[in-house]
Amino acid sequence: MAGLQRDTDKSDDNNTMSGSNKEPQKPKKRTFSQKQRNMASGYMFISPFYLLFAVFGIFPILYSFYLAFFRWDGLGDMEYVGFNNFNIIFNDPLFWKSLYNTIIIGLMGTAPQLIVALLLAFALNSVLIKYKSVFRLAIFLPYVTSIVAVAIVFSVIFSNQESGLVNALLGMFGVEPITWTRAEWGTKVAISTMIFWRWVGYNTIIYLAGMQSIPNDLYEASKIDGASLRQQIWHITIPMLKPFIIFTVFTSTIGALQIFAEPHIFQGRAGRPEGMSIVLYLYRDAFGSNFFGTASATAIVLFFIIIIFSSLNLYFANRIGRSKKVGVK
Amino acid sequence: MKEHRLLSALLVMALIVVGCSSNDGIDSGNAGKGAEDEGNDQTSIGSEESEVELSFWTFGANYDSLIEEYTEENPNVTITIQQLDMEDHHTSLFTALSAGAGAPDIAAIEVSEIDSYKRAEDKFINLYDLGAADLEADYLDWAWEIGSSVDGDFLLGVPTDIEPTVMYYRADVFEEAGLPSESGEVEELLQTWEDYRQAAETILAKTGKKMVDNSEPVFKAKRDQASEQYFNEQGELMIESSPYMKQAYDDTSQWIEEGYIDNIGMWSREWRNGIQEGNFATLLGPVWMSETIKEYAPDDTNWRVAHIPEGSGNWGGSWLTIPEETDYPEEAYEFLTWLVAPEQQMKSFEERGTFPSTPEAYDDPDFTKKMNDHYGGENVAELFAEAALEVEYVHKGSLFEDVNEEILIGLDNVYDGADPEEEWQEVINRVERRVFR
Repeated sequence: MAGLQRDTDKSDDNNTMSGSNKEPQKPKKRTFSQKQRNMASGYMFISPFYLLFAVFGIFPILYSFYLAFFRWDGLGDMEYVGFNNFNIIFNDPLFWKSLYNTIIIGLMGTAPQLIVALLLAFALNSVLIKYKSVFRLAIFLPYVTSIVAVAIVFSVIFSNQESGLVNALLGMFGVEPITWTRAEWGTKVAISTMIFWRWVGYNTIIYLAGMQSIPNDLYEASKIDGASLRQQIWHITIPMLKPFIIFTVFTSTIGALQIFAEPHIFQGRAGRPEGMSIVLYLYRDAFGSNFFGTASATAIVLFFIIIIFSSLNLYFANRIGRSKKVGVK
Repeated sequence: MKEHRLLSALLVMALIVVGCSSNDGIDSGNAGKGAEDEGNDQTSIGSEESEVELSFWTFGANYDSLIEEYTEENPNVTITIQQLDMEDHHTSLFTALSAGAGAPDIAAIEVSEIDSYKRAEDKFINLYDLGAADLEADYLDWAWEIGSSVDGDFLLGVPTDIEPTVMYYRADVFEEAGLPSESGEVEELLQTWEDYRQAAETILAKTGKKMVDNSEPVFKAKRDQASEQYFNEQGELMIESSPYMKQAYDDTSQWIEEGYIDNIGMWSREWRNGIQEGNFATLLGPVWMSETIKEYAPDDTNWRVAHIPEGSGNWGGSWLTIPEETDYPEEAYEFLTWLVAPEQQMKSFEERGTFPSTPEAYDDPDFTKKMNDHYGGENVAELFAEAALEVEYVHKGSLFEDVNEEILIGLDNVYDGADPEEEWQEVINRVERRVFR
């Protein structure tokens, strides 16, 4: 009460003051101060992105929250159905299967990839390697190829026929040919390999950039103290790389949860349960069958799954390189 | 000063928008005929002074030369063509109609998509209102019926081209198996599916080759002979209550188990190779497949054509529609009817091989000449024409492709060793979960 009283008093004061100032009004030609104008131009500079993002990003996101509670075929009228769309997808075994597939393919595609990328980056950063830039370029190249091309090449490599490259190789060891596009694990292995191949270079380059930012004195000092290579990696490289590791784990997790193009092209347009990812599931629902309500509901579930996984990731990645004995910095 | 800033901000935005709109769509291999498609392509044909500007969205087939002819005859009309690949084309059209803005004056719709647009009659102009009833006699009944609503009161589109199915077979493989190999003889030999099965048995025993590339065309051929497929006209799912689809599935599964059906997916390298080397004895496919065979095996003289036992189906083709948004319904209709008229269909056939939906073209000497230039026989044109006349209309429904995909997944699983009966139950479960939402 007292505060409120004081506030009103103040505003009264202000009013009277501005009232008294009204009379002179001399140099105030410019309505905006320099600071305000700087701010305005700053917003102008970033506005192209935010305006486009508002139209093509924020609006669709909000709209799919809205759509999730309706039954809509895209052309006709919308019908409010409450939580029924969520009910439908939660009772669809294929939804759970696609969630399971996404997590398995994500783990198989990204966990080994990040470890290998770290090792590759370490190798590329070492003084022993010649023609570094050639290797760096070569390892980054898969990243710039189109996903469609990658999927087509891999579907030749992982051909279902006995004469397919991988099947022929396995045949030398007496393994029966695998129907790669239909087998439960065959599909997952093929798709994860594709993801691994395409992204390992990207993560290597990020780790390499991180490693180059580590001052050499640290390594020299540790050498003088008699640290082994393993100790160097474990106690200098990895802790210093922490922000980079967090970044790659973060982007890889989100990327893995959104796997779409690889199974879509590898298994054909119709898709199959073995390679059905959650995004593929909602894509098929929306653009194949025109059930936009259930597809939006799936998108929202995916949204929350991504939030959960990203938080878990952040939690675990934050613990990387924290020596147990020394404890908190 | 301020205007300048605003202007440059707008310029930057315009640049970004232009940058974003460059389209790199996935090339659809399934479109079949649109192999040399260049993706996103907009061209405007006609004089600059023309009063009427029509936009025409199409896929696959390129109508530029016909449109040039039309705009020369009708200088008051300019036509802007947007040609995309099949999937992108339908996505753009669907989006524009759904948004209620941006749809063209004339749009082509593919046969597998057309039923999903029939539920949105308010987004299209009823061509009967513009006098289309007068044209009906020129077109094949079944093709006309595909373009109209279930009750027959609303005409959504007029067919530009169709794709009746026939059987392509390898004369050398038939010969090797000791079977007759000339077109007339094969026709005689394979009257029924049972005859086909027996020929498959002989070919497998004598040559070790499979009768057909994969289960999809076999199932499709049998499905298309049924008068009742996945949905009835009331939109009810029929696969469990109606015997036909189960029968088609059972026959196909049985042949898979007996080893007559291979596992070579369409458009794969092995498929291409199989066509070149005759690794399978027959292909059950539409007219456009004749172009594919010619392209893959240009020097091969072993491929022949015959009728599919027990009747043809339709596997492709498109229908021209006029979205409701158009400002020039009369002009759009005039252009549309000109483009799908028998003479223009014939020109289009000569240029690109799109098969006419107007039966009077089948007697044209040019039609006979073009169709007879490959596949050994002299009666090939007649055969294609007979196939086209043989097709019967059947109601499909907007979720037809969804059901079809699930059945084909089931047949693949049977190939991989699943029990056909259990798999059929699974198919029904999957279909019901997918369709009832």
